[in-house]
Amino acid sequence: MTPVPPPGFTSTHLIDPFELHVGPIFEQGVKGARRFAFIVDARHINMRGILHGGMLMTFADAALGQAAWDACDHARCVTLTMQSQFIAPAKVGDLVEVAPVLTRRTRSLMFLRGDFTVVGEPIYTVSSVWKLLGLD
Amino acid sequence: MSTTVNALPPDAETVSIGGFILFAGPFWRLAPDGEIRRFAFVVAEKHMNGSGNLHGGVLMTFSDVAMSQTARAANGARPCNTVSLNCDFIGPGRLGDVVEARVRVTRQTRTMIFLSADIVVGERVLGVATGLWKLA
Repeated sequence: MTPVPPPGFTSTHLIDPFELHVGPIFEQGVKGARRFAFIVDARHINMRGILHGGMLMTFADAALGQAAWDACDHARCVTLTMQSQFIAPAKVGDLVEVAPVLTRRTRSLMFLRGDFTVVGEPIYTVSSVWKLLGLD
Repeated sequence: MSTTVNALPPDAETVSIGGFILFAGPFWRLAPDGEIRRFAFVVAEKHMNGSGNLHGGVLMTFSDVAMSQTARAANGARPCNTVSLNCDFIGPGRLGDVVEARVRVTRQTRTMIFLSADIVVGERVLGVATGLWKLA
């Protein structure tokens, strides 16, 4: 079962096995200004029928990771820390969207954040720090 | 020096009865160690990232599951929601690792519960998570 990309989006090329497992993930826009999305389906919900926080955090790691990758020209980088706040629930069929923001890039670190929305309403927000590997 | 544990203890009980925590799991409850609640999972191919390490989304999902289970247990099984979850990624997880969460209740009020968790493989630390849960 592969969901069809929503209008205006294409499928993001994923490599990580866990992202392929929970995906697909969709995107629009150009490198450095990409917007990402996924559609909540039955695999992603908890026993109370709402989107599981683990899926949101996985999507955040994937989407902000793509944005980090854009910012460092595909150098290897890893997540150092991620702070998540869960603002409102989401349900099956919802389109969850984020336009990651690069707050700052230093020689070896990248600071990225994201506000995640469903139909324009905030449901989840994240800030994170990424490390470029091989640089002190 | 690294320590690798290769099997779940025989008294492990699943907490992945359905939904995302089964799709992303399975995750297991272990016998507590005094005040510390313990959970575990075995790193499988689906949990990896493209660099051959445990995906950060799995580590955060596992942290959320272990801490949510602990929050519920501390409140007579009343449902509760994750409000915030902060995770530091300290070391890589590898295929076949038995990853353990060691969860402590830091403070409990009438409506909120503060938790922290060390995510370890034997003596190796993979992550540290803290978070805030609200009773539903």
